[in-house]
Amino acid sequence: MSFVPGQPVTAVVQRIEIQKLRQGENLILGFSIGGGIDQDPGQNPFSEDKTDKGIYVTRITPGGPAEVADLRIGDKIMQVNGWDMTMVTHDQARKKLTKKKEDVVRLLITRKSLEQAVNQSKGKYPRP
Amino acid sequence: MFCRNQTARATVARGSALEMEIRRGKFIRSELQDARAQDSDIQKKIDHEIRMRDGACKLLAACSQRDQALEAAKSLQTCSTRIMTYMSELQRMKEAQVMQNVPRRSSDAGPLDERMPCKGKVAISDLRIPLMWKDTEYFKNKGELHRCAVFCLLQLGGEIFDTDMVIVDRTLTDICFDNTIVFNEASPGFELRVELFSCCSEDDYSAGSTPRKLASKLSSSLGRSAGKKLRAAMDPGQCSLVSNGGAAPFLLPVPAVPGPKYHLLAHTTLSLSHVQDNFRTHDLTISGNEECSYWLPLYGSVCCRLVAQPRCMTQQMMSGCLKVKQCGGDPQSWTKVYAVLKGTSLFCYQQQEDVEANVEPAFTIGINKETRIRASEKDPHSKAQNICVSNQFGGEEVTHTLTTESREDTHRWMEAFWQHFYDMSQWKQCCDDLMKIELPSPRKPAPITPKQGSLYHEMVIESSNDLSSTVSDILARRMQELELRSQLGTSLTWMSVFEENNTKPAGFPRHCTSCLSGHSPRTPHRLPRSPASPQRCPRLGLLSSDASLTSDSDSHCSTSPCCHRHGWPEPSSNLSLLSSSPFGLRPRTLSLDAKLSTLRGRGYGGGTFQCPCQPPSSSLLTPLPITSRSPCSQRSTQTTLSCSSSTSSNSSSNSEGSHSPESSQGVLFSRPSPARRSLRNLRARLDPRNWLQSQV
Repeated sequence: MSFVPGQPVTAVVQRIEIQKLRQGENLILGFSIGGGIDQDPGQNPFSEDKTDKGIYVTRITPGGPAEVADLRIGDKIMQVNGWDMTMVTHDQARKKLTKKKEDVVRLLITRKSLEQAVNQSKGKYPRP
Repeated sequence: MFCRNQTARATVARGSALEMEIRRGKFIRSELQDARAQDSDIQKKIDHEIRMRDGACKLLAACSQRDQALEAAKSLQTCSTRIMTYMSELQRMKEAQVMQNVPRRSSDAGPLDERMPCKGKVAISDLRIPLMWKDTEYFKNKGELHRCAVFCLLQLGGEIFDTDMVIVDRTLTDICFDNTIVFNEASPGFELRVELFSCCSEDDYSAGSTPRKLASKLSSSLGRSAGKKLRAAMDPGQCSLVSNGGAAPFLLPVPAVPGPKYHLLAHTTLSLSHVQDNFRTHDLTISGNEECSYWLPLYGSVCCRLVAQPRCMTQQMMSGCLKVKQCGGDPQSWTKVYAVLKGTSLFCYQQQEDVEANVEPAFTIGINKETRIRASEKDPHSKAQNICVSNQFGGEEVTHTLTTESREDTHRWMEAFWQHFYDMSQWKQCCDDLMKIELPSPRKPAPITPKQGSLYHEMVIESSNDLSSTVSDILARRMQELELRSQLGTSLTWMSVFEENNTKPAGFPRHCTSCLSGHSPRTPHRLPRSPASPQRCPRLGLLSSDASLTSDSDSHCSTSPCCHRHGWPEPSSNLSLLSSSPFGLRPRTLSLDAKLSTLRGRGYGGGTFQCPCQPPSSSLLTPLPITSRSPCSQRSTQTTLSCSSSTSSNSSSNSEGSHSPESSQGVLFSRPSPARRSLRNLRARLDPRNWLQSQV
């Protein structure tokens, strides 16, 4: 993920589709998020760039829908169902994820390992 | 000699016997459409729509409520559009019929080579149209709210659907339509027309909220904008012309009904190139301008998810018994299988029953854009020709040879492969992978949630005997209802007061009343006072909570930031503060907004909040994850919060988490009760220094 101020953010993203699980009258996804433009980015243990105010996955409930869908801790969420998550407050992000009318959330996430994989396949790193 | 059929990637020797036979077979099998049956179908649909339209007109004339009128007008618009479409469809079919009746020569093989790609389902969902309000919209017109009713009309081929109606005003940033619309008979060259209709939804044209007497006086002289609106409302009914292919145009009168009328605000056309298994943004063409009554400031784009499921991906295109041999293997090892061609593979099952039984196929041969299929030379051993299917797997070519029982079967399979390749070339990206279409499960309508306007709507003002009870009293009572009873932690500023007071046990305020009178706390700028009497313990708790949450303590916002962790001073500090001011106070009128926003914060419970202020005595904070239960949500899973709070090395026993606590005040307290914990957690969330985490 490269962040150059004034330039559009570029990232290697992966699409993850999570089916919400019904627990009583709640629909849960099984993970926790942290971050937001109203939060202190310096305290984000997962971000590489400590000025990054994006939304990160901070915890995955074992066996929950997010784990099943291969979401991992430390992933940065770029979009939720088409809504941008790179410039939202924490509460806005939570709301976009917990809409009662939606059964499925489609996330676009990015993680460091994705970029490394792309770089490797391009041959930037010598293969063992 | 050998001619590669470019479109189908299946090679057959041009002029070979096989080719001729296949062509002849196609000719025999081609059917002329039974046009008459389709004709009556369309006629029935037209009649149905005309009846619906008449019903909508009657409803529109009869109904009194604005909402009903808008819905009826929407149905009217949809019916009219459908009628027009069916009429033109009928016209087209009549013309086609006329053309077909011209006799054709059988040797003309030209049109027979034309393949029709398979049809498919196209679904559009999550339509979202962003709006771009000017800031003047917010600051002028305090009273009246310009509202429009909007809906989308989606048209593909002969199918027309409308979305639900949404009322839009300047509090919305996007127009969202939750419907998923599925079109079942789409060809790859489809054109999906999306039209946004809007209608101004203002009840009173003359004056927004002026009293009736004044309104009647003003009605004789209308202002410019009011007059425009009235004119728009009184649009005369239009007549729409439907041409009859050269014959005299016959008029389809749209009945002029009073009531709201929708106008086209924007439109766009989507096609196969816009289909993707993801959300995409498309441009809108906007018609109308700012002067129109139905105008909305559109940003100019629409975001939606458009997916397509061609039939070749979802249905079995061909199935039958085959014998398969893998090239490079034993020449005599023919495996007898029941093969099914579907999607991007040829599934080979051991028996036919396996298909229904959902047993895994014995093996699968991929059939995709990269596959090559050839009919090989006639095998002297068998009656029929073999079909060779080659795929590339990581640089290697793997070939399977198929053979059938008879020549006709071979023809049929070749034909099926050709058709399949053609479909894939027509549907392009839709055939890479199956795109999912979700239909939202029919569910009971959600319970009416209170409109998220202001807390005034939620508050029930109970009649109280004491006429002089202020809103603060009501608020205090409400807080009681929200079970925030017992003693709660205090704000950070007060903690500094009790630095010396390290070992105060958690008791009830009664015990501590006497011992704290001597304190002279460094009070914050505004001494928070509470209107209620302090005698009752729960009230005290409320007092403290009310006070602590609404004290400003150097900050410019009304909710005080309270950092929470286990073991903070409870009643002692509260009481000390209160004791410094005499009891039986005059009601303190802190800004109502402050209190209401506090209540709103409490009411959410499960969410997370931000308090934009910084507590003044900002000792260094460390983030600590603590486990908490929010008061109002019923989540069974734990909510993990990461709170940064001031800790001291003394109370490091309570610290968990990856960051080392830094020293500040030293306070050591006992384990709080659940209610205290919940409010503490709420306060923790309000602290801007915390790095919030929410469970979703």
